[in-house]
Amino acid sequence: MNRWLAALLYALLCAVTFVVCFPLLWAISTSLKPKEEIFRWPPTLLPERFTFESYRELLFGGSAASAPGAGTPPSDFFLHWFANSIIVSVGSTVISITVATLAAYSLTRFRFFGQRAVPYVAIMGYMIPSVIFVFPMFLTLVELDLTDTLLGLTLGYVCITLPFCLWLMWAFFRGVPLEIEEAALVDGASRLQVFRQIVLPVALPGIIAASIFAFIVSWNDYLFGRVFMNSMELLPLTVGVMHFFDGTHVDWGLMMASSVLMTVPMAILFGFMQRHLVAGFGAGAVKG
Amino acid sequence: MTDVVISGLSKSFGSNRVLQSLDLRVPSRQFVTLLGPSGCGKTTLLRLIAGLEKSSQGEIRFGEKRVDTLAPGDRNIAMVFQSYALYPTMSVARNIGYGLEVRRIGKPERTARIGAVAKVLEILHLLARKPKALSGGQRQRVALGRAMVRKPDIFLMDEPLSNLDAKLRAAMRGELRRFHLDLGTTTIYVTHDQLEAMTMSDLVVVMNEGVVQQIGTPEEVYARPANLFVAGFIGTPPMNLVPARHEGGVLSVAGAKLPVAVPPGAPAELILGIRPQDLGVARPGDAGTIPGKVWMVELIGSERLIEMEVAPKLRLTAEVRARQRAAIDDAIAFRPDPAQIHLFDPATGASLTAAR
Repeated sequence: MNRWLAALLYALLCAVTFVVCFPLLWAISTSLKPKEEIFRWPPTLLPERFTFESYRELLFGGSAASAPGAGTPPSDFFLHWFANSIIVSVGSTVISITVATLAAYSLTRFRFFGQRAVPYVAIMGYMIPSVIFVFPMFLTLVELDLTDTLLGLTLGYVCITLPFCLWLMWAFFRGVPLEIEEAALVDGASRLQVFRQIVLPVALPGIIAASIFAFIVSWNDYLFGRVFMNSMELLPLTVGVMHFFDGTHVDWGLMMASSVLMTVPMAILFGFMQRHLVAGFGAGAVKG
Repeated sequence: MTDVVISGLSKSFGSNRVLQSLDLRVPSRQFVTLLGPSGCGKTTLLRLIAGLEKSSQGEIRFGEKRVDTLAPGDRNIAMVFQSYALYPTMSVARNIGYGLEVRRIGKPERTARIGAVAKVLEILHLLARKPKALSGGQRQRVALGRAMVRKPDIFLMDEPLSNLDAKLRAAMRGELRRFHLDLGTTTIYVTHDQLEAMTMSDLVVVMNEGVVQQIGTPEEVYARPANLFVAGFIGTPPMNLVPARHEGGVLSVAGAKLPVAVPPGAPAELILGIRPQDLGVARPGDAGTIPGKVWMVELIGSERLIEMEVAPKLRLTAEVRARQRAAIDDAIAFRPDPAQIHLFDPATGASLTAAR
């Protein structure tokens, strides 16, 4: 009976895994097909003839298919978009994590007015859908002359990622026992040493979790990039790839190749972080 | 060679006064226990000595040096926390050596000192492990090692045994005492467990509500409690405390006359204290005994506790040999050992007999 149950469970897990993975596999498959094979009916699961044409076009430019007289083809901007996305995602993640970690630490360790309210207000701010404040924020950026700049977009992402990062780090620091810091103080460490050598290593799993969150939100965002950015060479990837859809026809080969390349940083990020994420979680225990 | 002198020390958290103008001298090389119920201010006092809290008033000196303005790291103290407070991301070796590391002591010396301490504590085989891979007793030893490796002037310990199981606690009591005798470092030890205080200390400081009730050797606080609080707090089962009166040099409890000399100038109404161990069973009607009837009998191994009702809501407990039997509701009498009777002033709670 138990074996049957296990077999059933495995079958179920395989099915779920397939459903989750299928879009990605389909994207990979499509990105490797020649253009004439993409729309063939019945569709082919695996490309009959492999081609890296779409990737070549994205990474090295020079689209032969672009209409004459249409100016630079959108695929030539792909590396710009990719770099833009990396810059704003890494930038907003670094800013959010730095501010959130320091703020959360002070919220749990020092006494000041409004100390208890801040994390709750922050999390409530996070619950407001970003579509509500994207336009007020756009007007603010206009005032600051930061529209259509990577800095403006980065700050926009900080606004949506910081509250949740703060909440996450706050919850994490509350679980770090004060006594280990006191022990380090008695051992002769300075406040800064305590923070760097004792608190940060303990908080690492929390920092990694918050970083992954902030990076994903920034990397996947479409709305802010669409509203704040204008110049072709300053767009983030999500907004940029929409130019492969020109109103009359969609270049699915480029679209799918872009999607595959877009997932690469995420895959690398998870590959590296996962180990730390899992390794760190048991670390908080000090009680006997 | 560091004695700790505390004078006029007060500490308030908001309007809550935790310590009230406290004076205390901890002699050099002694093992001194701060003993009291939870909330009596003993941990706060320890944290003030460590520098983890700021005093509201008063001063703390280590020898000649005033320390209450110094940061914890500048006081050359080591502290063992109730939760051990090991650094979870560091190995046992680095946990022990961290204090040396931040003091910029070179790696060869650090390694040597960590090794020496680990050898004494028998944790050499654990040095590479992380705290989460240790048992409670092993963590306790690492915390102790971290304190010992720095060769501090003073050890501060905040209920270090309370997270251990009973058997390990008993073993560690002996070991801690042994380490203290070997190292000779002034130690201030906080506990609410009177057994720990009695077995380990050179001096016991009994505290209640932020005030020192009595300072003395374990024998002194047990045999000559300075006031009603100490009398009731020290000793298991607790001392019997019953109202008594004296007239014309004769002391009586619930009408029974007892052959006790009352110190001159004592008020007519008194509180009489007698430990359960100092009461013997007698026949009702014997002279110098207190009669009543058996209320409850409990066997606690080699001893038996007999609780006798003298009058409504007035009961005395005697601890007698287990072979002494008694049946509930039987008439019985207790004979107090006159030399072991304590008398207290009900108005002040102060002992009238402690100076004896």
